[in-house]
Amino acid sequence: MIRVKNIHFTYNDREVLRGIDFRMGNEIVALVGQNGSGKTTFAKHLNGLLKPTSGSVEVDGLDTREHTVAELSRLVGYVFQNPEHMFFEENVFREVAFGPKNLGLSEDEIEARVRWALKAVNLEGYEERTPYSLSGGEKQRLAIACVLAMKPRYIILDEPTTGLDARNSESVIETIGRLHSEGHGILLITHDMELVLRMAERVMLLKEGRKVFDGPVEEFFSLELGAYGLDRPELLEASERLGAGFVRSVGELMKKLGGEGVDGAVLP
Amino acid sequence: MVQFYRERDSLLHRLDPRVKIIGTTLGIAAIMLYNDPVVLIPLFFVFLLIGAFLGKISIREQMTLLKPLLPIVIITIAVWPLIYKPRLMGVLFGVSFSMRLLTFALLTFLLLATTSQADLILGFVKLGMPHEYGLTISISLRYIPTLYRLAGTIMDAQKSRGWEVEKGNFITRARKMTAVLIPLLVSSLKTAHELSIALESRSFGASPRRTFIREIRMTKGDYVALALTIGLFLLALYARYGLGLGHISIYPR
Repeated sequence: MIRVKNIHFTYNDREVLRGIDFRMGNEIVALVGQNGSGKTTFAKHLNGLLKPTSGSVEVDGLDTREHTVAELSRLVGYVFQNPEHMFFEENVFREVAFGPKNLGLSEDEIEARVRWALKAVNLEGYEERTPYSLSGGEKQRLAIACVLAMKPRYIILDEPTTGLDARNSESVIETIGRLHSEGHGILLITHDMELVLRMAERVMLLKEGRKVFDGPVEEFFSLELGAYGLDRPELLEASERLGAGFVRSVGELMKKLGGEGVDGAVLP
Repeated sequence: MVQFYRERDSLLHRLDPRVKIIGTTLGIAAIMLYNDPVVLIPLFFVFLLIGAFLGKISIREQMTLLKPLLPIVIITIAVWPLIYKPRLMGVLFGVSFSMRLLTFALLTFLLLATTSQADLILGFVKLGMPHEYGLTISISLRYIPTLYRLAGTIMDAQKSRGWEVEKGNFITRARKMTAVLIPLLVSSLKTAHELSIALESRSFGASPRRTFIREIRMTKGDYVALALTIGLFLLALYARYGLGLGHISIYPR
């Protein structure tokens, strides 16, 4: 369990986080808010990259103020927005092995973890490829594998689908779903409301460093999102106009409509 | 990050950048004429006072910015007596060269602290520097904070993978830095490549004749300051070569 108790964070005389409480277990939580609302600053507190000015952050009982980022990286993995900011090794295998090597694991254990992590993100057979030669989605999945190989219980993904085309985005979403089903707690930092609708179980909304909402995704989409600079997903708008209420995917909408669409068009 | 320029209402801030560039160049040339500490030490303090009174930059602030040069100053003063005899003269030359270095740095600092980046580049271009070079310098300076932030992000990303640069001896730590330097280099090259395409697509270099959004014009005060600077430099030349002041022969005949 991640427990955040009333954290404040001040940087350059500016209070970036103002008294945030938060709890997270093995669930998918979306962290949303406008640019500058404090999302990334908050997330960086969860793996100890930033320490709170006041208040506390505990990850499975470990106070982040008393442990290094390296120690906390066994528990909380952080996938940065631009995966290329991680890559420096000559091939995919060595890139994924970097984290486990830092943990001081044996050669056999490192190899086993690399193979397992690459399988988990569907990158088997890519071991000898250069990280920079991969496509956008493959790079994002490689970045996830790099963090996954450290077997963290919680994974933070910063804008995992930004800049990806539909197919690559889909492959990343599938990976996130698989990780969750395997018991990882996932924190998604995102502006993508379609992704929130589809993946998140809970949403925390930040505004100017304050938590303004923390609750189930359905309740989140009933808020007046325009006031926070956010848009409702088109799927949700369409579903409500069709009288189908809250749905999370096109498939769910079709099911609710009983196979029949607008203007009598038959849906598959 | 050290940000040299700060907006202030002072005579040096108001001066045309061309006058300040010429003044700094002549000032550096003048201190190169002398090697006698009897001249160089007072000259350093004169420039310090010019910064304080005409540039409104406190002496404390100027000294803080010169502080990183302290190790070089100490080494210079310590090494000269070891390589020059009599040793007392060696100490004297050590002090002389340190003062030269400090005055050189102080003049450059005063130019940067009283002239905004845009004005500085414009000044150089108006003095005849090709505008491509001006733009190159301007872009390089503009990207220093960006690269600094990027390096911070990359370090955070690697720390999240258990990377600890603080552990190990110097060689181990230097090797560990590849985890930051390679992504930094790749990102920088990509940015440079994208920027060159962006410049070309906005017709950079299409016309040899250029206009400027902001023009600078020399005022009467600027001409007076320029004449005064050139006059003082000529006086320094006369003092050195006409009167033979301020120079001690290092290698006596």
